[in-house]
Amino acid sequence: MEAMDLLQVLDHQQPRRLRVIENLLRGRRTVSTLYWGQRYHLLPLLDADKHLDRGALTVPAQQLVAANLVTLDSEEDQLLLTPAGQQRQSQVATYYRPQTSGDWLSLDLGAVRQRTLLAVQVTSQYAHSTSRYYPLTTDLATRRIIRQWFHRLKGPQLAETLSVALIQSLQQLPVQTAEAMTDLLTGYQHPGLTVDQVASKQQQTAWEIRLRQRDGLTQIARDARRADHPFHSLLQSLWRSPVTRSAQATLYAVEQGGSLEQVAAQRHVKTNTVKEHLLEAAILSPVAVFPYDQLLPESVRADFATVLNADIDSWQFAQLPEALRARYDFFYFRLYAIWRGRGMMADGTTHN
Amino acid sequence: MEPLTTSLQHVFGFNTFRTGQAAALTALEQGKDTLAILPTGAGKTLIYQLYGYRHPGCVLVISPLLSLMNDQVDRMRINGFRRSAAITSLTSYAERQEILRHLGDYQFLFLSPEMLAQPQMLAQIQRLQLSLLVIDEAHCIVQWGPDFRPEYLLLGAIRTKLQQPLTLMLTATAGETTRQEIAKQLRTRPEIVSESVNRPNIFLDVENVADELEKQARLKRLINQLQRPGVVYFSSKQQATDTALWLHQETGIRAAAYHAGLASEDRFKIQQQFMMGQLDVICATSAFGMGIDKNNVRYVIHYHLPADLESYAQEIGRAGRDGKPSVAILLYAPGDEQLPLALGQSNRPDDETIQRYYARPQQFSEDDPVIQLLAFYRQHGISQVAVTQMFTGRERERNRALAQMMAYARENHCLRERWLAAFDEQSPEHVATCCSPGNTPLDLSALGLIRQQSAVTVAPEREDWVVRLRRLF
Ligand SMILES: [Zn+2]
Repeated sequence: MEAMDLLQVLDHQQPRRLRVIENLLRGRRTVSTLYWGQRYHLLPLLDADKHLDRGALTVPAQQLVAANLVTLDSEEDQLLLTPAGQQRQSQVATYYRPQTSGDWLSLDLGAVRQRTLLAVQVTSQYAHSTSRYYPLTTDLATRRIIRQWFHRLKGPQLAETLSVALIQSLQQLPVQTAEAMTDLLTGYQHPGLTVDQVASKQQQTAWEIRLRQRDGLTQIARDARRADHPFHSLLQSLWRSPVTRSAQATLYAVEQGGSLEQVAAQRHVKTNTVKEHLLEAAILSPVAVFPYDQLLPESVRADFATVLNADIDSWQFAQLPEALRARYDFFYFRLYAIWRGRGMMADGTTHN
Repeated sequence: MEPLTTSLQHVFGFNTFRTGQAAALTALEQGKDTLAILPTGAGKTLIYQLYGYRHPGCVLVISPLLSLMNDQVDRMRINGFRRSAAITSLTSYAERQEILRHLGDYQFLFLSPEMLAQPQMLAQIQRLQLSLLVIDEAHCIVQWGPDFRPEYLLLGAIRTKLQQPLTLMLTATAGETTRQEIAKQLRTRPEIVSESVNRPNIFLDVENVADELEKQARLKRLINQLQRPGVVYFSSKQQATDTALWLHQETGIRAAAYHAGLASEDRFKIQQQFMMGQLDVICATSAFGMGIDKNNVRYVIHYHLPADLESYAQEIGRAGRDGKPSVAILLYAPGDEQLPLALGQSNRPDDETIQRYYARPQQFSEDDPVIQLLAFYRQHGISQVAVTQMFTGRERERNRALAQMMAYARENHCLRERWLAAFDEQSPEHVATCCSPGNTPLDLSALGLIRQQSAVTVAPEREDWVVRLRRLF
C-alpha cells in the first residue's frame, strides 16, 4: 500500500488504528483485529496482503501526516483524516472502487488466483499444441488439482469454452479491470505482466491493480457457480464460510446447550478460546444466524443499555461501573458492542 | 550397460556430449567422486540427469538456491524426469509431508542444505538407496558473503552419515584454493574435470568514474549505445529496482528489476519476458542467472564491485553464450570496495561477541542473523575456539578474494591475464579484442557492439482486451 491507498481506507470522524489495518491485511484473525476491521468497514480486506511486512504502513502514514492529510496520535497509531485529507479522498474520483468485495470473505481468493492462472496457462499452451513449457510456480496441491481438471476437460472445445466464459465474466466489470486481468494472465507466447508493470501502464497504484484482480477473480468464481462453466469443478469448492472450522464447531456445541465451561471441557480448549471463537463467529456471521438471544439475553442487554451511549467506538470496558464489570466479563461487553454495531438498537429493533 | 552416447541419444536426442560432460560421466561410471568445474551454460545438470537415468536409486541434489529449486524441478519435468521433487524451507508443511510419504518413489530429490541438516530429514534420507549425491554450486562451501550457508560446512559429516555415497560436486568456477577446500570439506579426493573459465568472445572492460553521479550517467550512456539485450548487476535490491525504473523513465528502454525479494509469480514473468525478447535490460542482483537459457545477452555491466572474481566470472558468463562478441563492463568509483567489505563485516561477529554468546547464549535474540549463525554452530557442537578460528580464517580468505577483485579493477595491463591468473590459468596473448583496462577507453564501434538506432517507431495501438484474451487460446 502506498500513501494514496492508505488514504482511501481512512475516515474523518472515526480514528483508525494503523496496526489494525496492517494486521487485517496480513490476515491476523485475532478478535480485536476482526472487531475493529468490522467497525472500520474494512473486513473484506482481511488477508488481502499476506506478505506485507510488519510496520510497512508506517512510512505511508508518515507521508500522509507530512502532507497534512491526516493526523496521527502521540502513540503513532490512531489516524484521522484532516479536512484537507477528506477533500483529497473525495477528489480522487478515479480511485478504484471494488464491486465484488461483498464476497471476498466467503472465497479463498489466493487459491482462486493460483488455480485460475495455472488453468489458463495450461489451456493456452494446449490450444497451441505446446507441451514443453515452464509452468507457473504453484504448490503441489494446485498442480495436482489442475492436472486432474485438465485431464477431465481437455478436448477440442476447451479453449473456446474457457475463452468465452472468461470474456463474459470480465465484461461485467469496468474495462480497465478487464484490461488488468488480461495483462496479468500467462499463456502461449505471453508471459504476462507483473502487477507493478500493469500499474505503471495504467497509471494506477499497484494496490488498485490488486483490487481489480480481486474483482476479476471473484467475478469468475461467481460465474463458475453454474454447473456448465469450465471452471465449475475447479472453483466451486473454494467458497467457504468466513468463520473458521474450529469456531464453527464451538458455535455448534454452544447452540446444543451447555455452559461455556462445559463446551470448553468437551472441546478440550480453554474457556477463553470458546469465547474467542464465539466473538469471531458473531463478527463474521449474519446477525440472524448467531444465537444472540441465548448468549446475550434481554436482561444483559438492558444492563449494558443503561450505562452505554450510542457512540460505540468510545466504549471502554475499564470505564464501566464496577458492579457491571463484576457481573459481566469482557466477552459480554464485546458481544454487546458487536450486536449494537451491527445495527441493533438498545431496544432490540433494527435501525434503518 | 549401454554406452554413454547411446543413453544420451535415448534421453535427450543428442549425438555428442559437450566438453566436460563426457569426462565427468566417465569418472562417475568408474565410481570416482568427481569435481566438475564447468562454465555456466555447459550443461552441468545433464551429467546427473543422465547418471540418474542409467542407475537405479535416487539422485540427491543439494542446492543452496532456495528460490530457484522449484525452477530446477520444473526443468527436470520438462526434460521428462517426472519423478522429481524439491524440499526447502519454503515448501509448505502439507507438501513436505506429501513428498516424504512417497520419498522412495523419487528419482531426483532436491534438498536445501538446511533441510538435510535436520536430524529427522537425514534419518529419512539414510533409508533411501542413493545412486548419486550431487553438491550443486559447490563453491558455496568456501564463499563467504550474505548468501553464505553455514549448513554447507556440515556436508562432510552428513556425507559420512550417508555412508560416503558416490559424489558429484558442481561449480562454474573454482581456483586451486577453492578446489582443495571443497575436497577437504567433503572428505574426499575427487577426480577433477575442468574446462577453461576463459570466454574469448567476451571483451573485458573496466571503467573508472569519479563518483556515483558520474557512474549513473555512464550507465545511462552505455545502455543507450550498446546492442541489446543486457544485464546490469547490483549489490542491493533497492538500487536494482530504482535503477530499472529510472532507466525506463529516462530512456524509454524496456527495463525490469529481478531479485530474490520478488514473488515467484513476478520472477517467472520477468524471466519469461526476458527470454522472449520483451525486455531490453534486467537490473538484477546475484539471484538472477540460474535457469536463464538466453544465448544472445550482449553485455553484462557491474554497477557495484563483486566480492570476488569467482562471482564476477559466474555473472559475466551470462553474456555471449551464442559465441558472438559481447562485453563485460565493470564500473568502478573510488571507495567501491567499501560495500563488499561492509556486507562481509555485517555477517561476522567479533571475538568478544562470540565469547559473550558462548557464555550466555540465552541472553541473545535470534532475530539477528549473526546470532543465528552462532546458534547454529553451537547447536552442532562446534567449540568457541573453533568458531573464532573459523571466522578469522574466513575473514582472511574474504580479504584475499576482495584484494584479488580490486587488483582486477586496478589492472593497467591485461584484464584477462589478471582474471585467469586467479584461476591458475595461463592467458592467451593480449590483442585488440581482448580487453580495455581502466586506463584505456572502451571503443564499442571497433567491437561491433554499437546498437543500430532503429527508426523511431510509433508504439502500435494497443488492441482491445477481448482480442488479446482470445489470442491466448
Ligand atoms: Zn587483455
